[in-house]
Amino acid sequence: MKTFEEKWTAWVDGRLNEAERTEFEASLQDRAVAEAEKRQTLKLGALLKEQLQPRPMGNEEFFHHQLLARIEAESGEPAAASTTTAGVLAQARESWWTIRRLLWTGATSLAVFTVCAWFVMREKPAPDQSQYLTQILNAKVDPNVSPYATVSIFQTNQDRVTVLWVDGLKSLPPEYAAK
Amino acid sequence: MRLRLLVALLALSSPLLPGAPARAGENVWSGLVVATNVTNPKPPPPPMHRLTRTLEHTFGYNQFELIGQSRKTLESGEENWLAASKHFSLHVDAQGAMPDGYRLKLELFQDREILLETDATLSKSSPLVIKGPQIGSGQLLLLLVVQ
Repeated sequence: MKTFEEKWTAWVDGRLNEAERTEFEASLQDRAVAEAEKRQTLKLGALLKEQLQPRPMGNEEFFHHQLLARIEAESGEPAAASTTTAGVLAQARESWWTIRRLLWTGATSLAVFTVCAWFVMREKPAPDQSQYLTQILNAKVDPNVSPYATVSIFQTNQDRVTVLWVDGLKSLPPEYAAK
Repeated sequence: MRLRLLVALLALSSPLLPGAPARAGENVWSGLVVATNVTNPKPPPPPMHRLTRTLEHTFGYNQFELIGQSRKTLESGEENWLAASKHFSLHVDAQGAMPDGYRLKLELFQDREILLETDATLSKSSPLVIKGPQIGSGQLLLLLVVQ
């Protein structure tokens, strides 16, 4: 058998079935007053629910870090001495390298490297153009086959062609032009 | 996950590093060409198109006929190959990739007789032309181009 208070609470919360609700409402002396009280109670409940939410912490990691530093300072020994604190510290260290921080660190390092590389490259003197031309390192004609052969090397202005000009080779008949 | 991110960042930065050697997979075209002067010159073969004016101006001929050629894709930069015609052959021995091309040892043979030996660094941006022996009223030219 439920007490009146239990039935009242269930009625306010809407947890009575149809028969119980009808019976309970019939037992009320002043239905209008009871309904007003029910509304007030529900309103108060909603307000409390809204106001009693825990405030989200703005800078949780910083807070943890500060807290651990303070524990260390006050205890006078490294927090690693305590297994629990060591675990928390390891977690703090682990959590410092978040994906976002890692990305920022990487991007910043890359930017610094690019700027440095640009300065280094900019101050480098213009490379000798011949570095990018084909170079003949040596050329040798068999003196027994072509005793009067001479070799000279030059570059054309157009198309940057390097020419190895060999004179004095034995002239050959047209048949040697066969494919 | 974080290691992968670091590797990705390093990979992104690698193209910025200077001094990368010539890329593998580049083609080196070698051609044996007979240059002549004729009334109605034939058009040069496609690999020579961009060099024709320079060759005309440098050697004084108006027709360039290909009598032998070879196109080699360099993977390690240490391959060797032969471009040959009936009487001439050009043996090319690549001896490594340079910052802007390849180190080559070249040997020109007439039948079995060696006419010329040379060592060169062939640049990607600079073709090599070798003036060979006179053939009839024309001239043998050897061409090497990184494509």
